[in-house]
Amino acid sequence: MIQIEPEAWQVMVSHAKSTYPNECCGAMIGTVDGDVKTVKIGLAIENAFTGVQHERYELRPEDLMKADKEARARGMDLIGIFHSHPDCDAYFSETDLKNSCPWYSFVVLSIYKGEFHHANSFLPNAEQTEAPKEELKY
Amino acid sequence: MAKILIPTPLRQYVDKKDSVDVTGATVGEALNALTTAHPDLKKNLYNDEGKLRSFVNIYLNDEDIRYMKKESTPLADSDTISIVPSIAGGL
Repeated sequence: MIQIEPEAWQVMVSHAKSTYPNECCGAMIGTVDGDVKTVKIGLAIENAFTGVQHERYELRPEDLMKADKEARARGMDLIGIFHSHPDCDAYFSETDLKNSCPWYSFVVLSIYKGEFHHANSFLPNAEQTEAPKEELKY
Repeated sequence: MAKILIPTPLRQYVDKKDSVDVTGATVGEALNALTTAHPDLKKNLYNDEGKLRSFVNIYLNDEDIRYMKKESTPLADSDTISIVPSIAGGL
């Protein structure tokens, strides 16, 4: 289960709304206690995809390294990635799956007409063949 | 000894440590030392053909080893290796 604290959630939703109609992306930093992940910090990261960003996002590895360093400096962990689906539901698409990594929770925010609609979290496998839903609280 | 930073989800395979000190003349030797000492980590980083998984990037300090000498990149004791995933997506 992954739960997102209000301050982090606000950063994530604000980033998704401010980048609409493009996709946004970012990192989630927090703590892990057994099966419960708690997101305490949402980090907005620039979408590095060089084409049409309405339908794609890309995280620079360098930006992920920075996020990981920030997590370590705060005594926390990098536990997830988030991105938005503008005018589309929060499902884990084939493109998401083929460009995923099994180490993190992937939270997808659905944004319709510039407003937050709903969100889901997914846990992709190492073979990039499936990504079951994970319980998400926000 | 060089240091390898371990991403949070992989620490379960390295006795919950956030970094592991390794010896090796190259990045490849260091990674081999890491996965030899912690065999359960290997399948997370390498596919069945023994190649780094497509989503795994290896950085030596702040440089992607793909733009250096890949796994033959020389390693110094003061170096830090990071394991960084490639992540993208879309509709």
